[in-house]
Amino acid sequence: MTRTNRRKLALTSAVLAVAAMTASSLPAQAASDPGLTSTTIKLGITVPLTGIASPGYNKIPGAMKAYFDYVNANGGVNGRKITLVIKDDQYIPTTAVAKANELILKDKVFALVGTLGTASTKAISASTQLAKRGIPSLFVNTGFSGFADPKGYPTTFSILPSYQMEAKVMGKFLKEKYADKKLALIYQDDDFGRDALAGFKQAGITFGTYIPYASGSQSLPATGAGWISKLKASGAEVTVLFGVSSASTAALANAYAAQFKTQWVLGSVGGDATTIAATNKAYVPLLYGAKGFSFAPAPTDATDEYIKLFQSIYATAQPTQTFDNNVVAGMSNAFVAVQALKAAGSDLTRAGLIKTIEAKGASFANPFLTPLGYSATSHVGATGYWIGTYDPTGALKPDGGKYTVYTTDSGNGPVVESTYKRPAMPAKGLPN
Amino acid sequence: MKISFKKSRVITTVASAALVATAVIGIPSVAQAADPQCATASYVTQCAGAGADGAPYLFIAAANFNGTVFIWSHGIRPAINIPATLAPAGPYTITNAAEPGPLAASGDLSVVNALVAAGYGVAGSGFSRQSLNVKEALAANVELIATFKKKFPTTKKVIAWGNSLGAMHSQKLVETNPELVDGLVLACPAANPNDGLVNYFGDALYGFKAFFDPTIKVGGYSTDPVTRQTEQLANIGKVLTVLGKLQAGLSSGAWPDTSSPAGKALEAAGIPSRSALLLVGSMAGIPTRSKHVDGTSGPAGAAETYPLAVAPAVAILENMGTVGVAGSLLLADGELLAGGKVFDNSKTDYAARVASDRDIYSFAFSGNSAVDAMIGALAATPREKADAAAVAKIPSFVGLKGTVAKPTVMIVGESDEYAPASGAQWLIDSYGDQFAAAKDAAIAAAKSSRNYQAPVNKLVTLWQKTAPKYSKFTAAGSPDLSAAAGAGTGHCLYTSAQYIAAAKMAAGAVSTGKFPNQGPITTAAKKVGLSYDKKFRVPTYKSLA
Repeated sequence: MTRTNRRKLALTSAVLAVAAMTASSLPAQAASDPGLTSTTIKLGITVPLTGIASPGYNKIPGAMKAYFDYVNANGGVNGRKITLVIKDDQYIPTTAVAKANELILKDKVFALVGTLGTASTKAISASTQLAKRGIPSLFVNTGFSGFADPKGYPTTFSILPSYQMEAKVMGKFLKEKYADKKLALIYQDDDFGRDALAGFKQAGITFGTYIPYASGSQSLPATGAGWISKLKASGAEVTVLFGVSSASTAALANAYAAQFKTQWVLGSVGGDATTIAATNKAYVPLLYGAKGFSFAPAPTDATDEYIKLFQSIYATAQPTQTFDNNVVAGMSNAFVAVQALKAAGSDLTRAGLIKTIEAKGASFANPFLTPLGYSATSHVGATGYWIGTYDPTGALKPDGGKYTVYTTDSGNGPVVESTYKRPAMPAKGLPN
Repeated sequence: MKISFKKSRVITTVASAALVATAVIGIPSVAQAADPQCATASYVTQCAGAGADGAPYLFIAAANFNGTVFIWSHGIRPAINIPATLAPAGPYTITNAAEPGPLAASGDLSVVNALVAAGYGVAGSGFSRQSLNVKEALAANVELIATFKKKFPTTKKVIAWGNSLGAMHSQKLVETNPELVDGLVLACPAANPNDGLVNYFGDALYGFKAFFDPTIKVGGYSTDPVTRQTEQLANIGKVLTVLGKLQAGLSSGAWPDTSSPAGKALEAAGIPSRSALLLVGSMAGIPTRSKHVDGTSGPAGAAETYPLAVAPAVAILENMGTVGVAGSLLLADGELLAGGKVFDNSKTDYAARVASDRDIYSFAFSGNSAVDAMIGALAATPREKADAAAVAKIPSFVGLKGTVAKPTVMIVGESDEYAPASGAQWLIDSYGDQFAAAKDAAIAAAKSSRNYQAPVNKLVTLWQKTAPKYSKFTAAGSPDLSAAAGAGTGHCLYTSAQYIAAAKMAAGAVSTGKFPNQGPITTAAKKVGLSYDKKFRVPTYKSLA
């Protein structure tokens, strides 16, 4: 008995000592949400690093990490350094769910960031129940307008303008430039394309030919050839392609093979030269003369202070990689994420971060040439587009030699030329 | 103390050996008398008897009985004979053989042996009625507990456990007779608040009827028992036939020759049958991962297109074998018990049901336009209208309140096609609400007493999760159905180690009054291939969403 009591006493003392030691070594503020310590914030991203959709998109996480590392090297955000856990989802929604589950349950990230693709983002949201669990999904790389609706996706924020906005801006352009031409539309037959159809309808655009395709089917050889047959039969003079770059590749390559000429008008996610080059470098010049849309400064625009900074950071972090649209997208995403984390303050929580973006997000510093649309009633990121033409190298250059930005909403609002003047970049591009 | 410890070990060892032997020589014959017939050999006492309604039961305890007994409720068994011609649903002959624990029906007594050797008692009834037998199971279990206690007066704790419908029986027992039960183990629970399961099976069969065979019955079975049974068997045959034809048309997209006019029109429009099959799965909420289809892998040469274009439909095909057969059995039985039609989809918005899946499985659906066309085609098939009085009776034979009042361990397969994990999630969410209310009440009480008594967690869910990849493919590029089923798929595919771990966890909580902290639970779960994570969620029933 005596031995037992002595042992219990010793054990109790040891426990107390450990408890005291632990308490004294704990940070002043212990974080309650997963993925946080007093010195770190863990974020997670799932993107296609391999597979058919990976070319181009696989550069996004590296670009994000490059900017996070730059911020970390300069003191971090409110004293915390950001770590980014990267997962490969192959652009397969069910895989994206598995990877998101790993990020949430195994890696215990504070928030998801930069999830790519409408289908994967929807699958993750539905299967992992982000909203119910209060997990932020920051700045998803998809323009599906649904993600901007906080009623449906209360913890998700877009970074892109909605596809509906893009179609409205595109519709105005088509009316002004090609009113007398035969128009055709190739579109991804999911919510991506559904947004586009809604936007074109609001813009009063009717196409002579509609060609829907199921997402993924563009990788089948017969798909692209079928499109061109239909376009030829319809005599389409102007063809809008509202799909991903692998769809643009299929369309451009098959049109070239069939000697079919049309004026291509490519949606913002469909004209990435890196993706097209991954299929065949010889296809890149096929972009020449096509019209394109963007809301960020062109990656070749070294006069832009953000691009200049991003080029410098990326050249150090990824010296062997080409600086392109995907890099700009990734670094811009990381930049806005840092702004949000900074604004949320030292007492960081998931709920607090979401509230902060809703309250202050519209005024976050960012590289885009349009205002951000964040509010309590909208989780949309950028809100407009500039229009350009692809050069023979696949670079999109603004028409008229300058960015003329058009802005609108995802509803019935008009498309207007933006008077937005982007504020100067914070000193050294760091959170201030 | 040292002497008794040694004696206990001896008994345990001998008892364990005796049980193995007993399994070979058989149990005492079933008695019709109120008192069971018992036999003791090598410190192990086995008793068999029949309840007041004739339900056979069996219970076992060793000389080292520690005062805790596990009352097992077996899962669903059909209430009709199924001929071998309806393989793989048949051959099946109605049986009400007593089952003392999990896996015992298949001759695997490892769980029973382990528990008895550890000093626990085990008991189980075969129930007097099969299929939807909540009423009979409840009566049998109440009676069995009393009978066991009479034979073993040192009984102090009762843990109810069961799998599938048996888990529902266990939960029902504690909801109706909380004084009889101290803890629960619910394996692959058919946890159902009201008509979630009726809708699950009904929606799937309605989809099959609308697209692939208009003569498939969703409900409205005959009241004459012989005719009803004939209709059930015919329906099972039709479902299996359609599945065979869908399998044959997976690649080509060909529709079964029995397809409805609406189905044939969809085929003419170029929509493959696999897209319609997937739509049926989405309408009902059938898992898109199955025993042999992980949904993320593809055969050589189609590693990326297969998971996008084909795999979700193949998983539904494999899962629908269970859902279609079970639906034909259960809906008919439900109608019998309720006295009228129980499935009602007259107001179901199937477009809303599939909305969140449209993009996720876009390629497999053949795009949004195809989904719209298929949803539109449903209009050609009249909706099912249930009998209101019959619907009101559903809770009496499959409904639960979802109250978690005693320490409860759940084991749940993430992609269970028969008792969807949605049911377990419903129970988890129900308990979440209860716990939050208890916490609020404790805070309110603390304001006056200045002594906060935090509520004790009573629910531990051990997930059998599906791995990201487990599919194997044959040289021809088809899923290899001879390969082992992926973890977390199929119905109640748990190992004896998993059952034992859950049982011991529940027994520990019953003994101490609470579950251990997260660490020990996580470790114990991990050892047997399960996962404990309170944040993990699966979607709830589509009809409840």
